[in-house]
Amino acid sequence: MNLEPQEQLQHLAGVTRRHFLGSCPTGLGALWLALQNRQQAVASAPSAASVPTIPHFRPKAKRVIFLHMAGAPSQLELFDFKPELQKLDGQPCPQSFLEGKRFAFIQGVPFMLAPQFDFKQVGESGQWVSDRLPHFRSVADEVCFIKSMKTDQFNHAPAQLLLHTGNPNLGYPSFGSWVTYGLGSDNQNLPGFIVLISGGHTPSAGKSAWGSGFVPSVYQGVQCRSKGEPVLYLSNPKAVTPTIRRRMLDSIKKINQETYDAKGDPETLTRISQYEMAFRMQTSATEAFDLKDEPQHIHELYGTQPGKDSFANNCLLARRLVERDVRFIQLFHWGWDSHGAGANEALNAGFSDRCREVDRPMTALLTDLKQRGLLDETLVIWGGEFGRTPMRENRNGVEMKLIGRDHNPGAFTIWLAGGGMKSGFTYGQTDEVGYEAVENPVTPHDFHATMLRALGLDHKRLTYPFQGLNQRLSNVTKPSRVVEAVFA
Amino acid sequence: MVSSPNLNRCFVVAFLVSSVTRLYAEPERVDFSSQIRPLLNKHCTSCHGGVKQASDLSFIYEQQVLDSGIIEPGNPQESELLHRITTTDPDLRMPPVEEHPEPLSRREVELITLWIEQGAEWDGHWAFRKPAPPDVPDVNDTLWSNTALDRFVLAKLENEGLRPTDESEPTEWLRRVSFDLIGLPPTEQELLSFLDACESNSDNRLATYQAEVDRLLVSPHFGERWASMWLDLARYADSQGYEKDNHRHAWPFRDWVIAAFNADMPFDEFTLKQLAGDLLPEPTADDLIATLFHRNTQTNDEGGTDDEEFRVAAVIDRINTTWTVWMGTTFGCVQCHSHPYDPFRHEEFYQFMAMLNNTADHDLSNDYPTLTYPENKDKQELESTVALTREHKALREQLNREGVALAEGCADWTKLFPTEVSSSHGELEITDDHLVRVVGGTIPANSRYFVKTTATELRALRVEILPESDDPAKWPERGSVLSQIKLTLELADGTSQPVEIHDVIADYLAGPFDPKDSLQENHQGFGGYPKLHGPRWAVFVLKQPLAPPAGAVLSLELHQKASTSGGQSIHLRRFGLTSSADPAWSSLVAAEDRGVRQEELQSLAASLQQLKGTPIPIMQTRSRDYSRPTRTFIRGNWQTRGDLVVAGVPETLHELDLANPGRTELAEWLVADDNPLTARVLVNRIWSELFGIGLVETLEDFGSTGTPPSHPALLDHLAVQLQQEHTWHIKPFLRDLVLSSTYRQANRITPELLERDPRNRLLARGPRTRLTAEMVRDQALVTAGKLSPKIGGPSVMPPQPEGVWQAVYSGAKWKAATDADRYRRALYTYWRRTSPYPSFMTFDSPSREVCSPRRIATNTPLQALVTLNDPVYVELSEHLAVRVMDRADSLPEDWIREAYLIVTQNQLTNTTVTELVALFEATRSEYEKAVDSEAETDHDRAAMTVVASAILNLDEALVK
Repeated sequence: MNLEPQEQLQHLAGVTRRHFLGSCPTGLGALWLALQNRQQAVASAPSAASVPTIPHFRPKAKRVIFLHMAGAPSQLELFDFKPELQKLDGQPCPQSFLEGKRFAFIQGVPFMLAPQFDFKQVGESGQWVSDRLPHFRSVADEVCFIKSMKTDQFNHAPAQLLLHTGNPNLGYPSFGSWVTYGLGSDNQNLPGFIVLISGGHTPSAGKSAWGSGFVPSVYQGVQCRSKGEPVLYLSNPKAVTPTIRRRMLDSIKKINQETYDAKGDPETLTRISQYEMAFRMQTSATEAFDLKDEPQHIHELYGTQPGKDSFANNCLLARRLVERDVRFIQLFHWGWDSHGAGANEALNAGFSDRCREVDRPMTALLTDLKQRGLLDETLVIWGGEFGRTPMRENRNGVEMKLIGRDHNPGAFTIWLAGGGMKSGFTYGQTDEVGYEAVENPVTPHDFHATMLRALGLDHKRLTYPFQGLNQRLSNVTKPSRVVEAVFA
Repeated sequence: MVSSPNLNRCFVVAFLVSSVTRLYAEPERVDFSSQIRPLLNKHCTSCHGGVKQASDLSFIYEQQVLDSGIIEPGNPQESELLHRITTTDPDLRMPPVEEHPEPLSRREVELITLWIEQGAEWDGHWAFRKPAPPDVPDVNDTLWSNTALDRFVLAKLENEGLRPTDESEPTEWLRRVSFDLIGLPPTEQELLSFLDACESNSDNRLATYQAEVDRLLVSPHFGERWASMWLDLARYADSQGYEKDNHRHAWPFRDWVIAAFNADMPFDEFTLKQLAGDLLPEPTADDLIATLFHRNTQTNDEGGTDDEEFRVAAVIDRINTTWTVWMGTTFGCVQCHSHPYDPFRHEEFYQFMAMLNNTADHDLSNDYPTLTYPENKDKQELESTVALTREHKALREQLNREGVALAEGCADWTKLFPTEVSSSHGELEITDDHLVRVVGGTIPANSRYFVKTTATELRALRVEILPESDDPAKWPERGSVLSQIKLTLELADGTSQPVEIHDVIADYLAGPFDPKDSLQENHQGFGGYPKLHGPRWAVFVLKQPLAPPAGAVLSLELHQKASTSGGQSIHLRRFGLTSSADPAWSSLVAAEDRGVRQEELQSLAASLQQLKGTPIPIMQTRSRDYSRPTRTFIRGNWQTRGDLVVAGVPETLHELDLANPGRTELAEWLVADDNPLTARVLVNRIWSELFGIGLVETLEDFGSTGTPPSHPALLDHLAVQLQQEHTWHIKPFLRDLVLSSTYRQANRITPELLERDPRNRLLARGPRTRLTAEMVRDQALVTAGKLSPKIGGPSVMPPQPEGVWQAVYSGAKWKAATDADRYRRALYTYWRRTSPYPSFMTFDSPSREVCSPRRIATNTPLQALVTLNDPVYVELSEHLAVRVMDRADSLPEDWIREAYLIVTQNQLTNTTVTELVALFEATRSEYEKAVDSEAETDHDRAAMTVVASAILNLDEALVK
């Protein structure tokens, strides 16, 4: 064979299946095992020369907890304080704000809407936080705000996909998939990418928000539950006791070994290991998800109630998973779509409930991680998929009974904590009414490039070939930059 | 590999050329496609390629390179290219020193030198050249080959110094071929009669095998198994996708695919029907259902989404899917820029788009256009629905066309000057050119405009709805619909009388609304919905000619109730009025035969209204008279539209010799004799289904960035065979494959062979691959004796864990079937895109949001948890246990032997039987000693269930 196709073949094979496996004792098919031992696998792979050294940089963070507020919380009611908007309250929206814009629900000429809650500067850093988040005010010095986030999608599903996969269309690997593809996982007995959902609904983008797109499905997020079985099919059937299960697995193992001796297929050896790992996962996942062994003061700190489906429980689980070296923990909390079309989401109704649901647990998470010395190496991300308009929503062209704001792709706020981020710091600014990011805008692509860098990954080198391109999380076709300013 | 240690690193070109000549006694012939193209891709095209063309130089297109003068064919010394890659001057060296410190390797330079010396021939990439029937190679072992394809395999093995593995045991082959052809394991009875036949006809094993293959090929389960493959490509699902992900009635398409495979529909016909079945003369219901292939794109029903944005997204998905499925070529990147590696230009994407851009669907939540599928699923009623719909459409268009002809021929259109305008909401003004337009405020749905004009003699009033912008590149704009018009004549004495309208003629009929609804109290009407693609007009023909007295005023009330998703009002934003007094209008509407036809139309419409059934999305073309123009999207952004394009296919590929081609021509082009890709891509896909890996591993990419074929001649041989010998029939093609000596090899791997060829690219052994997600389920059903034999019908819901479905804004619930639908084959499982059936996902099935050309099989602990603990498998294990225990006078050992045979088709070895009997005994004694065991409990059955589950979890049970 010619040299060149050989090289090309190696490259392609490397990313589809082969190169993880070259060094695995069992040879073919041990993707999961390789996932767990990515570093070693890469280091000793025969084709190591063609594989980038990972991580590319000295990592600031080892793992991620991403708290996604699905539905997009209002930056104007939480962190992005705009006294100017107060003055404009009730005025018709200037035409310049409307030209060339598309809105989900606003039509014609809407009216400006003042910030609905009181703001205060808190902590030594003097960060602005509204009165909806009284607990969070106490940890404002720990976080780094990016107030100049902007996106180009104004509907939930595409915007969530963009934020989680770097592409508004379906079919691309998620942030967590890329990270586990790049870094593997340090815990062999738990999935490397775990997803927890609260608020009663999956996010608008559905399971694609943690899907593996075109990378092998082993990198997809595993949705776990804080109620019932934490991992689907984790529990033995009722009639199967642990003793019976162990006995059964021993038989399977012996017979599979016999099969291997006859067939010589290394996949059989892999399967033997996977069954053993499944057995260990049953114990370790059950134990990891059991909140009952947490002391009372921790339950008080988070506001947790074991057995409940809540954001608080998920925050505490996130900490437990971090302690067990799970690489990427993705939380979704649904219900932030504050249009004012219904009481459960209106700014003057349900919005405050959402704030209450997250305020104490997310504060506790930061406090708890810090007191355990885990915050430095854990990157915590909080935010929605876009922001909300400084105009009041006028759905169907009329004044609505409740108060709400429409989707605004032009500006939103996220915060970062731990994992080598600056603390008590604010990056970027919006205009006087919080409508557009005007100073240091950050796109989802910049966000991805920056977060990967924090994990020691070069977003331009973490690639996978698909549709004729070496695809990457930060989106090959769009510009992106690493926002160095947020790193401590 | 030749390299001389004497060569100095900083050689000069002249020296190099002479050295190359010296080194090769007989210089090797350099192949552009396999040796030079990869070098250019590796070192040059990232700057001089399809995306970036630094110094206007691109190495993708031959002409550009020739024109640039950097290569002197036959004369390396004079070639700038060679100079630039070998120079030591850092300012000139390519690729640039700062980004690429290492120059091209010596070997690479040698190759380029030789290539130029040999004339710098630029033959395109292999996959873009039509396959020629290759000569069947000579082999040393003339006995091994069973079919021509074996000789290609054997020739390569002999060349590598390898021998094929011995033929597999009949049971191993039977399990493999049964899964491969029908997706199910052989039943116990099928196994036994096959073994009997093997024994009684031991001289002629081939005949027995052939008979077995023929049995499988006519099985109705054949279509089910191959449909599973096609449905991944067709991104078939039971829901619309995106946030709401509402239910979609798509299952008739799934059944159509099953039936097409069962009938061995030739692939060219299969292609034509799916891409353009609706354009066949007098299409049948099946032809229409086939077009659901490209209606499987997602519909975004989230509140406030732009229907044009997601219509465009659907069309782009259709383009990419078409290229992936038929051409095995990555075309998606051409949306934003010319292809970085393959010769496809940016504008060619849009030329291709123009063939698919003219369909009537528009991301509407009701999936318009649809076909009503009768509730009773009666085929005859379905066909009569199709006929009725066709008749209704034809008559409706005929009646409208008569009016259009008159409107276009009418000479006395006179502009009406509005004298006064007002609106219930927002602000209107009369422009200098006597149009009415919106100038400000908020105009919600349900607004009314009032327009007054001096009443003149008139028989027909024409309303022209205009876009806000006169620049066609800005179209389409948001919709603009007049949902009801009322005319009143106001007399000078203050009295008024209504003016009755008899008929509505629209410039053209498109979209789900009937222009005549503008005379009714409903939300529909005349105009652009959901988008306004350009100026529109409708003529309102009066019942009686209007002959107003002096000083009378004609007053118009325009009611606008229509809105799009998110409650966005789609009112008129700019419009004008003209009138005609031509008596021809009165004669048109008064004509007796027109009256009769109008009545006929009404009765057809009434019959259509009465149809009870579910709406199935289908393809429909907008008439050429008002076809949607296609423009390029600058840098791929659908909101930044560039120049108009003419429909066509990329220049580098075979011609599509017809002006203004549409979907039919596209389908014909895909399966044309000259198409270099379709047959190769298809045979490769089928090959990978059987062998676990394609001859071209990247099933989805045959372009220059895909993997080169392991057996290029074999690939071409198979492609030509399928296309010519089998005239696109898949069944005889598969028959050849599964009877080949290559396929019939044992799948045992020796350590030496594993070392040499871990992935079986050389085919020196039979394939051993993991069962697909569907096969894992279906095997458990068959072995438990529970498989429902029913083929087709609406999707079903087998048990799934609680709480998996939590979709936003949807009350849809998973209700596990309790009847025979609990035991249907995997492909009938309800497929919700945002929440696919979890155990299938664990076994690598895709979510089917977009076309999935390849499943990469993994091997994970989560899979173990499914087959060990999923209640579905626990239940089926118990059925398997009960089934084998159901023999009188049998012992646990017999049960175990039986269960093992049913699941793996193999006899237990002694050690295995000992192991499983020990498991049985140990488990039973566990149950016996359990303190809280109920007296009634059948310990044998419980223990046998555990053993059955263990057997279903064996490696042997999970592979074929």
